[in-house]
Amino acid sequence: MKETAPNPFINGLWRQNPTFVQILGMCPTLAITNSVQNAIAMGLATAFVLICSNGLIAAIRKHVPKQVRIATYIAIIATAVTVTDYLVKAISISVYKALGPFIPLIVANCLVLERAEGFAAKKPVIPSMMDGAGMGLGFAFGLTCLGTVREVLGAGTFLGIHLFGPNFEPWVLFLLPPGGFISLAIWLLIFASYRERKDRRERARAALLTVQPAEAQS
Amino acid sequence: MSGTTIIEVRTSPHLHGPMTVETIMRHVIYALLPIAAFFSWHFGLSAALLLAVTTAGCVLAEHTACRLSGKRSTVNDYSAAITGLLLGLTLPPGLPLWMAVVGCLVAILPGKLLFGGLGSNVFNPALVGRAFLQAAFPVAVTNYTPGLAANRFVEFIPSTWAVPLMKPAPLNDWLAKVAVDGFTGATPLAMQKFDHIYSELGPLLWGLGPGSLPGCLILLCGAYLVARGMMDWRITASMIAGAAATGGIFHLVNPALYPDPVWVVFTGGLLLGATFMATDPVASPVTPRGMWIYGLLMGVLTVLIRNLGGLPEGVMYAILFGNALSPLIDRLTPPRPYGARKAQVPQ
Amino acid sequence: MTGTTTKSTQMIRFLGFVSLLCGVLIVGAHVASQSRIRVNQEEILRESLAQLLPGMTRQVIYIVTPTGELTPAASGESSDKRIFAGFDAGGKFLGVVLEASERGYADVISAMYAYSPASKTITGFSVLEMKETPGLGNKIGSDPEFLANFKALDTTHPVAAVKHGKKTNPWEIDAISGATISSRAVGRMLAASVQEMAPIIARHRDRIERGN
Repeated sequence: MKETAPNPFINGLWRQNPTFVQILGMCPTLAITNSVQNAIAMGLATAFVLICSNGLIAAIRKHVPKQVRIATYIAIIATAVTVTDYLVKAISISVYKALGPFIPLIVANCLVLERAEGFAAKKPVIPSMMDGAGMGLGFAFGLTCLGTVREVLGAGTFLGIHLFGPNFEPWVLFLLPPGGFISLAIWLLIFASYRERKDRRERARAALLTVQPAEAQS
Repeated sequence: MSGTTIIEVRTSPHLHGPMTVETIMRHVIYALLPIAAFFSWHFGLSAALLLAVTTAGCVLAEHTACRLSGKRSTVNDYSAAITGLLLGLTLPPGLPLWMAVVGCLVAILPGKLLFGGLGSNVFNPALVGRAFLQAAFPVAVTNYTPGLAANRFVEFIPSTWAVPLMKPAPLNDWLAKVAVDGFTGATPLAMQKFDHIYSELGPLLWGLGPGSLPGCLILLCGAYLVARGMMDWRITASMIAGAAATGGIFHLVNPALYPDPVWVVFTGGLLLGATFMATDPVASPVTPRGMWIYGLLMGVLTVLIRNLGGLPEGVMYAILFGNALSPLIDRLTPPRPYGARKAQVPQ
Repeated sequence: MTGTTTKSTQMIRFLGFVSLLCGVLIVGAHVASQSRIRVNQEEILRESLAQLLPGMTRQVIYIVTPTGELTPAASGESSDKRIFAGFDAGGKFLGVVLEASERGYADVISAMYAYSPASKTITGFSVLEMKETPGLGNKIGSDPEFLANFKALDTTHPVAAVKHGKKTNPWEIDAISGATISSRAVGRMLAASVQEMAPIIARHRDRIERGN
């Protein structure tokens, strides 16, 4: 396998997907994915926070004294979250009500601090913002996957559109907290088995490549 | 793929009991058959079909899953069939069949095979399936239809044939036709809890009330297994004792609000649960002292959930909770080695 | 990063700078979004009022003081007891909307209802916030059969919920089958609220209907 530096955007969106690979930020993942709309709104809000905080932190990264770096990051993240809070309220009060306390709680999402410490503190502004966008959209993708399962089974709708007609029997469980855990498990299973299969294929190919030169020598 | 070993190397003892897992499981099925027959007679065609579907569903689910993961099918040990029968017996007879199939899949796949199959399941699989259904379809799973309807051997309960994923049709017309006076769809427990109406005890003993199986028949079938040495009576006895004692205390404190102990024992799923589900040999403790603790705990919990919780029935949750605690109970109650005194128990 | 030799003064200066930056950003966002947020909030309020009082275009908000007097309030931002008086385009008085809350099955249910001081009936009901079980209890906000209870619910007798299909009197609420606990909470909520508010409204009826 070649070891080039991965594109920070694709890296967050897929290879290091926060939900399915890093399993970060589980609190909002489980709590507010009971509809696709909530999942998308929460994902986008988090993505916005990530882009802002990563960009700002990368811009001042050379001046941050090491001892107070976490305090600095948290202050900047909290600012980005507060701004997002106002923004969501200004865009739609009904979305704001649906997301409830989880917008302010983005500040406690470990994903945001992890990207600040793990990426933005070492890289220039543009790649950091790309990383924030990739991770944020990857997070939004993960939430949407969960939200889809939960809304389709729990209410028979997708983005509020009825899929099965008015007679659908909703699986109430999927709108309740256990439904979050169950659908997360289903998706993790799917992604893990996909990764395992891919790894096995790549190992087989690598084995093939190492065997062939030896055969040529003999 | 063959998983058979030719020579087994083991430490002593090398004694073999005459009873294998298959034999015991087969006899459990024998013991369940009279209950299943009564259930079918009492509720008619729909109930018989429900039992057939849950049993076949569990067996097929286990067989297919084993095949897909490249292992030998384990359905020959009869445990999947037991799970299916028990699941069917805990469901209302008019439950849409597609929901019953969902229950089978949940019972067998995450409830049993995910933990490693028979011998490794933490919870009783039938109750896992039932708990899922209860949480997913709370209305359908608590909607009991009257037994002994006149046309029960000719006609299905209409909700049985609901289209998959769709709501069952309302039963009002059918209920009007079978014309059971004053039937509200509530089980004796629900009526007692929410409206403080007591059903007569007599029919409950013989299983003629709605929504519960005959207590005497269940105890008789359990006694058969105990007599054959295939079931330990301690769990059943202690669970019933725990429930009766707790129910008795509640009854003494406020007789108007809480039913008397005999009523507590013979209503709902307590006897079926205590006899056939709490005694699941995999998910229950193995030490005699542990069994007493486990049974008493579940009995107490059942009554606490019934009397103080929001639901009329608590057996299912009590047993699942007991299952979860049973490894801990086993650890806390190690049997004393033969000949050892308390002070001499080796570290 | 400047390494381990950073002095305290430097750190304090840096944190001061970061706080200043953050403060400026937050205040900026607050100022920029404030007017839009207020417009949104008022729109939501007007929408939910208009749902209960069809044809409403203008509302007057009163705050009830602890002594039972009314003071007109400018906006909807308040945690006090409020009375919303609704008027149509021609200035005709349509009725008042009141807020009420009560413990339901899962958490507190808060709701709004329309009340007609002339006929002493409840003419509409809508749930603002609840955590009742989806598919069962949460039908109190959507079930058309249940909401039909509130077309003309008599309040001269204490309001109460009765089992599904057992409604015989104009002051009774026909509960949702399978959601009796949530339905009864609605009954208790309305009974308590009407008992408290109806005398106040009756005392100030002229003023409320004039809208000043």
